[in-house]
Amino acid sequence: MEKVLLKNVGKPDSHRIDTYLAGGGYEALKKALRMDTEDIIQMVKDSGLMGRGGAGFPTGLKWSFIPKDPTLQKYLCCNADEGEPGTFKDRSIIEHDPHLLLEGMAISCYAIGADTAYIYIRGEFAFGARRLEEAIAEAYQKGYLGKDILGSGFSLNIHVHRGFGAYICGEETALLESIEGCRGQPRKKPPFPALSGLYGKPTVINNVETLACVPTIISRGAEWFASIGPEKSPGPKIFGVSGHVNRPGLYELPMGTPLREIVYEHAGGIRNGRRLKAVIPGGVSAPLLTEEQIDISMDFDTLAHEGSMLGSGGVIVMDDTTCMVKAAYIINRFFSHESCGKCTPCREGTTWMTSILKRLEYGEGRPGDVELLEGLCGNIFGRTFCPLGDGAVMALRGALRNFRQEFVYHAENGRCMV
Amino acid sequence: MGDRETGVVTLKVNGKEITVREGTLILDAAREAGCHIPTFCYQATLSGVGSCRMCLVEIEGQRKLQPSCVTPVMSGMEVKTESESVISARQAMLEFLLSNHALDCPVCDKGGECELQNMVYTYGPRKGRYAEVKIRHHEKDYVLSPVIVKNSNRCVQCMRCVRVCGEVVGRGVLGAIGRGAHQEETSFLRSYLDCDHDGMCIEVCPVGCFMRRPYRYRARPWDLRGSRTVCPYCATGCRMTIEERDGEVVRSIAREGEGFNDKMLCARGRFGYDILNSGGEERLTTPLIKKNGMFEPVSWEKALSIIREQFTKADPRRLGGIASAALTNEELYLFQRLVREVLGSGNIDSTSRWDAATTGAFIFATGITGGGVSIYDCMEAETVFVVGGQVSEENPVTDYIIRYVSDSSRKSVLVASTRAMKLDTSAELSLRHLPGRLGALFNGLVLTLYEDNQERLEGIKEIGVLKGRTVTDLAAECGVSEADLRALCARLESSGSISMVVGTDLLRFREGISGLRLLGDALRALGKVLKILPVLDRCNQRGAWDMGVHPLFGPDYRKVERAGLGCDGMLDQAMDGAMDALYVVGEDVVNMYPDRTFAEEALSRVGFLVVQDVSLTDTARMAHLVLPGAYPGEKEGTFTNQEGRVQHISRLLEPPGQARVDLEIIEAVGSSIVHGFSDGTPQTVFDEIRREVSMYRDAAFSGGSPDGWLVKKSARRLEGFELIEEKKVSLDADPEHPYFLVTGNHIFLSGSLSRRSGILNELVREAVVEISEEAAGELGVIDGQTVSVSGRGFDATYSVRIRKGTPREVVFIAENFEDKAANRFYKRGDVVPRVKITA
Repeated sequence: MEKVLLKNVGKPDSHRIDTYLAGGGYEALKKALRMDTEDIIQMVKDSGLMGRGGAGFPTGLKWSFIPKDPTLQKYLCCNADEGEPGTFKDRSIIEHDPHLLLEGMAISCYAIGADTAYIYIRGEFAFGARRLEEAIAEAYQKGYLGKDILGSGFSLNIHVHRGFGAYICGEETALLESIEGCRGQPRKKPPFPALSGLYGKPTVINNVETLACVPTIISRGAEWFASIGPEKSPGPKIFGVSGHVNRPGLYELPMGTPLREIVYEHAGGIRNGRRLKAVIPGGVSAPLLTEEQIDISMDFDTLAHEGSMLGSGGVIVMDDTTCMVKAAYIINRFFSHESCGKCTPCREGTTWMTSILKRLEYGEGRPGDVELLEGLCGNIFGRTFCPLGDGAVMALRGALRNFRQEFVYHAENGRCMV
Repeated sequence: MGDRETGVVTLKVNGKEITVREGTLILDAAREAGCHIPTFCYQATLSGVGSCRMCLVEIEGQRKLQPSCVTPVMSGMEVKTESESVISARQAMLEFLLSNHALDCPVCDKGGECELQNMVYTYGPRKGRYAEVKIRHHEKDYVLSPVIVKNSNRCVQCMRCVRVCGEVVGRGVLGAIGRGAHQEETSFLRSYLDCDHDGMCIEVCPVGCFMRRPYRYRARPWDLRGSRTVCPYCATGCRMTIEERDGEVVRSIAREGEGFNDKMLCARGRFGYDILNSGGEERLTTPLIKKNGMFEPVSWEKALSIIREQFTKADPRRLGGIASAALTNEELYLFQRLVREVLGSGNIDSTSRWDAATTGAFIFATGITGGGVSIYDCMEAETVFVVGGQVSEENPVTDYIIRYVSDSSRKSVLVASTRAMKLDTSAELSLRHLPGRLGALFNGLVLTLYEDNQERLEGIKEIGVLKGRTVTDLAAECGVSEADLRALCARLESSGSISMVVGTDLLRFREGISGLRLLGDALRALGKVLKILPVLDRCNQRGAWDMGVHPLFGPDYRKVERAGLGCDGMLDQAMDGAMDALYVVGEDVVNMYPDRTFAEEALSRVGFLVVQDVSLTDTARMAHLVLPGAYPGEKEGTFTNQEGRVQHISRLLEPPGQARVDLEIIEAVGSSIVHGFSDGTPQTVFDEIRREVSMYRDAAFSGGSPDGWLVKKSARRLEGFELIEEKKVSLDADPEHPYFLVTGNHIFLSGSLSRRSGILNELVREAVVEISEEAAGELGVIDGQTVSVSGRGFDATYSVRIRKGTPREVVFIAENFEDKAANRFYKRGDVVPRVKITA
């Protein structure tokens, strides 16, 4: 497949505006600025672009919720707080092709009528933040940002806002709180950000990869984009493969590429010729799939149907040397560490689960621990304030469902069966 | 159903159909339907967060349970509050909350009245499964402030404390640190910074995380005996319950639904209760007579016979009475009857700070005779204009109500004051004017209104007085920029309804009252719905006026045949040696009269001075005879707050020793002169008030609504105060003394009563002078530094407190410090004394 999102990655000085312009960069912005904003939104709707941050919400629809009143202040926030373990796709775009993101943001802002945009970048991405600042400076200099862009009358300022290391700030409303200088905790919805977001103003929050798709949709057309991959969730997708494979890395493939193909062809199969034990298809919140389940089309609908999710497309491969209790413990520890503390079930529940998993892993399991874990999952799931707690439960449930005997073995024997 | 048009929504709760107002939360709708939903993080006066997940309910057709405390009702909704999944969710939440809860209930102050205990008892799982190590935030409780102590191991993370501190108190001292299960609510830097010490965090805490420090380990709730009373420290009139154990008052508490203030109290109300315990040398327990300059105990019989002898032989014109506005309505009413009927004198007053003509004009201008105005009704107006006082400090709970109502309903608040105040942050526009220049400010507003609406205001003839003035020079006169003045006016002009919250600066500076009246007339002429709420500092000031403790009018604002003298006039007469006898009840004239030296001199020339008080005040020390009175917690009666809300107070303790309730003393004095003066029980005197004061005709003495009862419009018209002459306050430059001194109540103190509270005094360790940032820069001083303040005739050292936003030339010293009394800076007639500050 022709690369769209990673096309410049690997070119010398790919982050420079000259390289970007040489590859036809900012042409889509020029085109967009001559278009009617309604037409742009319709085009994005027609393209079938679904948010690439994890939830898979149709992007065009999200934009269309923004009030049309031109007197209202509106904002675009780019969610670059890529924190889901196993996910490293946005980082690549930010570091190696920042102008693709900036162009996508400029078009999006024009479409929704925002004159100010923020890139909320994960605190650890210091290098990425620097690259973005440099790219923004270049874009201002060349007139792709700032006042009256390309003589269109449209003005835009983009600010980079660095996070401080909290996973929860990737949740869109917690991200807004954080930009506002408040404690990073999710807000209640409604009101939804499209009506009352940043500083109480209508706001669109899109993922880096989502925004990076926008220039291509404008330049190549909605039909072209929609023709890639499955009808219901089309387009190119970056899969980040990590774990026990021979060639971990980023692979830009059509949405709907079978998981088996990703693991065995693109990522070169399991290392040392071992057997595949489980795959997490979309970041650690996604329930894992076993070997029998990997002939699956990697798109939002199919994975959801299978009881897992595409999430961010971070594929984590585990071979048969992996202890599932340990894996579950590490994943759960991440969630309890990152729980913001706002709501009771997530704050107390994930912490409790981590304590139990830790005991199991360290050979201090007790009879009934597995049932207790299952009970706690039920007590948390669906009752938390935001999806973080649900993500923790889904991950653990996936492991318990498929590898229950390993947990029971740990509880009864105080050691691992792998 | 045309729900949208009617503004109501019909839904089903547990199968029961109910109709509620659009926008009602499911939680409230369910409670209305008689289905109780448990909550932790929900608090009606705070913003909804929906974080504790206790209130999850099932809504037909929705996959997930929904938090009922933040979800509004929708037409046709079917809500289940007791379904299997809801019950299991509640049990799950309680199990989670208990998992890291300290469970040290046997030594927790909250035990017995703890929401977590109650909830687990009612809804909780009967068995705990948590068998891991608990997270401990800290090993020992830590002291956040002299009155607040905290144990986060008990916290349920509802964040009510954080929200109440930010949204109601307006301080934002509390916040949360850490994340997840390590999240801990605390003050920043674990210090209390500029905390109001009101203990709101304690009151809203559902568990024993925030605690009263003075109450810690003192009692269990079931050991306490309480009585409902009203806070005596300002005229906001907060309802509260004081509770004692073994004869010692150990706490005061405000509860939701027990008064208009719900859980709100300020530091004074919540921690100033210990005056009731101040026994020992401080408290007067027997009548005292002065012999050869020394006080000696004397029996009541003897004391009363001396009073009878002295009072009856005095010429009524050379006799008078001053009763504090902190007495009950019954005491005040009986006092004025004693002075007028028994002693035959018209010389009577309820304050030593303000002159009688000014208070009369103030009553007229603020429409006090028009009946009570609830503060919540005031807050219904589109715009709330706070002027003429430091509400945030003088009446903290009034400030809290204005803040939380206006912030949650996005109301426009306008502030005009001489000093920066906390309410500024909630105000759309706040401006600073020069002290003693409210008249110019009001006139400037009137003139601006007149410029825009000449025809409609032509009928108000007083506007003629402003002919020849310009907005520009009036703005300059009050020290406000013309643009700000016009912006303020534009805001008033564009509002259909306006409430003015008017403070005591008009009384202190004896000016601005005509201006207020003119502004009121102008706004009414423009069709505005105008409400005026007077903000007063003595708890029963309004009651004192209603009862006719005033030289120029009687009970119910009845015209008196011959006007008597107010405090000012009586002191004048005393100075001439023409006061034979003076009966002072509860008022510390020496410390409050604006010229201490004069007051002392005048009182020393009174032929026979009787002072009735709870302790030996500076005024009592000058008396020939001292009578031991009682504190509000020791008596029954009613108070009328600044809104005109009549509230019953009940008795918790007996006055110590031979001290007696003031009502009984006044009755005994009266009866010693005229047989059958009164039977002196609060109930019968109140019945008499109901007969004599039309505003109180339908009032109930006790019982009735927990919110008290608002007085009705007086059947009489207050006469003689339509036009008063106001002297222009001199603000001429004095290079020797470059600063203007203003005074008022300290945020933790009220009059001199609160000075006897050991707990409150811990919060105010030293006398403070508050200066602007600019002045601090000029003087090169920092917060906490000692400076000397000198006026014409007095100087003393004070600790500096810098206040950002106060104009450069204004300095403030609270009137509550007897040892460095602010009134020493005043020379009689001074309104704005000038002072010099040296580092």
